[in-house]
Amino acid sequence: MKKISLKASTAKIADTVATYLIIALISFIFFVPCIWIVLASFSKSGSIYSFDGFFPSAYSFGSFIKLFTDTGTYDYPLWFGNTFKIAACAAVLGTFLTLLTAYCMSRYRFKGRKAMMKATLVLGMFPSFMSMTAVYLLMTQLNAVNTHWGLIFIYSAGAPLGYMVYKGFFDTIPISIDEAAKLDGATNFQIFLRITLPLSKPMIVYAILMSFASPWSDYLLSSLLLKDKSLWTVAQGLMYMPDTEFSRYAAGSVFIAVPIMALYICLIKYMVNGMTSGAVKD
Amino acid sequence: MKLDMAGTGAQRKKPFALLREICAEGDWKCLLSAFIWGAGCFCYRQWIKGAIYLLLEAAFILFFVFFGGEALVGFFTLGVQEANPWFGIEGDNSITMLIWGIFAIIMIVVAVMVAWASVKSTYYAQCRVKKGEKPETFRQTLANLLDKNFYKTALFLPVISVCVFNILPIVFMILIAFTNYGGDIVPPKLVDWIGLANFVKLFNLSEFSSTLFKILEWNVMWAVMATALTYFGGLGLALLYNKKCVKARGFFRIFPVLAYALPGFITMLGFKFMFSYGGPINYYITEAGGSAVGFLDIDAGWNARLVGLFVSGWMSIPSFMLYCSGILSNMNQDIHEAAIIDGASAFKRFIYLTLPFVIFATTPILISSFIGNFNNFGVFFFLRGGLYVDGYFLASDTDLLINWLYNLSISNNYYAIGAAISLVIFLFTSTVSLVVYILSPSYRKEETYQ
Repeated sequence: MKKISLKASTAKIADTVATYLIIALISFIFFVPCIWIVLASFSKSGSIYSFDGFFPSAYSFGSFIKLFTDTGTYDYPLWFGNTFKIAACAAVLGTFLTLLTAYCMSRYRFKGRKAMMKATLVLGMFPSFMSMTAVYLLMTQLNAVNTHWGLIFIYSAGAPLGYMVYKGFFDTIPISIDEAAKLDGATNFQIFLRITLPLSKPMIVYAILMSFASPWSDYLLSSLLLKDKSLWTVAQGLMYMPDTEFSRYAAGSVFIAVPIMALYICLIKYMVNGMTSGAVKD
Repeated sequence: MKLDMAGTGAQRKKPFALLREICAEGDWKCLLSAFIWGAGCFCYRQWIKGAIYLLLEAAFILFFVFFGGEALVGFFTLGVQEANPWFGIEGDNSITMLIWGIFAIIMIVVAVMVAWASVKSTYYAQCRVKKGEKPETFRQTLANLLDKNFYKTALFLPVISVCVFNILPIVFMILIAFTNYGGDIVPPKLVDWIGLANFVKLFNLSEFSSTLFKILEWNVMWAVMATALTYFGGLGLALLYNKKCVKARGFFRIFPVLAYALPGFITMLGFKFMFSYGGPINYYITEAGGSAVGFLDIDAGWNARLVGLFVSGWMSIPSFMLYCSGILSNMNQDIHEAAIIDGASAFKRFIYLTLPFVIFATTPILISSFIGNFNNFGVFFFLRGGLYVDGYFLASDTDLLINWLYNLSISNNYYAIGAAISLVIFLFTSTVSLVVYILSPSYRKEETYQ
């Protein structure tokens, strides 16, 4: 009896050790490039070629100070503001549209539903910027080239096509909750507002993060639509910096990654702990 | 038990069956409201609804009289008057005309749909009166839009936005594939319809077709490898962090999330520098006595492809991991507890309980991940953008179809050929994913876990 439990516990310890080793390796792989960019942002010389392998040869805060004060050629603070405005608006609008679509597709059985599901799938299969030329021409017709609103509309209008992920989530929320509310006399709108949305906090957070992250780091569409340097996003500005400004580029990159990480760390508990576990007992 | 949340009775009929029924049963009021929208509503004293329909009709008529008619003609001619600055002639812009032509056609479809809605509403009112009930009041219609018909209210905005910003441009590009737009022929020159000539060129002209097939082969291989890497990597990580023995999982999860939080283009440029001759990897290779490797050189071949695969995995595994953790946290724990009591081993529980659930919930995102990888523009654009390798027409050996499309249409103005390539890409991805999707359990048995 004792032997067996001893054997089981050795196996358990081995398993734990192996798990931690793998986790350490994975953490290393994911961490190294990030820390490399962070180190580069503290590099004293601007250029990439003055590195001793992984580490810069000398450190300073210079690039961060230059990033926010030397705004003559590279107006980083302005670009940062532009990017934030575009990404925040697109995230709110896009998430709203996406969740509505996903909810309807999950909870309603109406005619044309399967057709719509197939159609969105088909639309998603067109190469994303196959239509970029067309979008650009459309935007010139609507006088929306060189405006942030044009960009925001394009980002958020495309978002509902990604409803499938969220529908998959709504599908896993037990329908018995809806039925109970229905028996208590709730309308479908009330069910959506009072029951489904609060239960889907993790998925809403995921949706907001996703729809914030893509405009936040998009380069192609903004470079196509925003021609004025004062309207640029950070991505355009960073791409515009030459090799010799590598540390400033790295500093700018670090700064643009901060808001998303802050968002994530604040919201982590919603993303991982499902709210439905325990809501229904079968 | 499944609640019938979306309407009952007549509203659930298929459109054609309903049309036949209305033709047989409907009275003159139904017929009238097909031509004068809202006429039926007025007959049944639904004043506000009738007025809305009538206003819509007026708006459509004004649109087509002053603008839409001309736009429709323009769609077929694509302009007849070339601009001539010498004589001060402001010619037709074929491309603008094409866009507005498509818009006019969409408006016709919308008009037909509104007319159909008007007829239907009249017919329903007729049915209600026949049964001795009162026609639906405006207040009831509004209330239904928040309850029985809530999906109509909710889907209105998404559908409109997708139509304008996604469907319209896509239709435009499909049509462009059948014109000679591109090269020298851009406005102010007139563009013309040329039928299938672009596709013939793409498959017959040796410079295009040899490149097309070489790239297509690599593209398929890439999509399969990258998707498999993302899927199993992400799922594996989620399961790993989900293990009971892992403490401080929030802390360890930060590392992949760092990778996820780093905007894509920064990652890709960062890796480009990292694998360059001056980068840290070559530094340590030479320190160890090796000779520097040109990972991303023009003759790098598979080295560059593997670097691309690594970068794509590095970028997409974390988001998939987060998604899988969400899915796992939503799994019904009771079955697991029951299985433990019944003596199922951890492995068996994984195979019979966790895996089916995860596959069920991830099939849609698996498909979108496959398509995303098939059309993964960024990786090779940022790692090796602008390289043209011998034996390829304006492309390199790591370029995917989407990169080739970019080189052709945005860098070199081959718009029509580019559009034709997009259609080829589309045909491929759509066939693959529709088949997979229809065969998948999450489509066939949607209610399994509800």
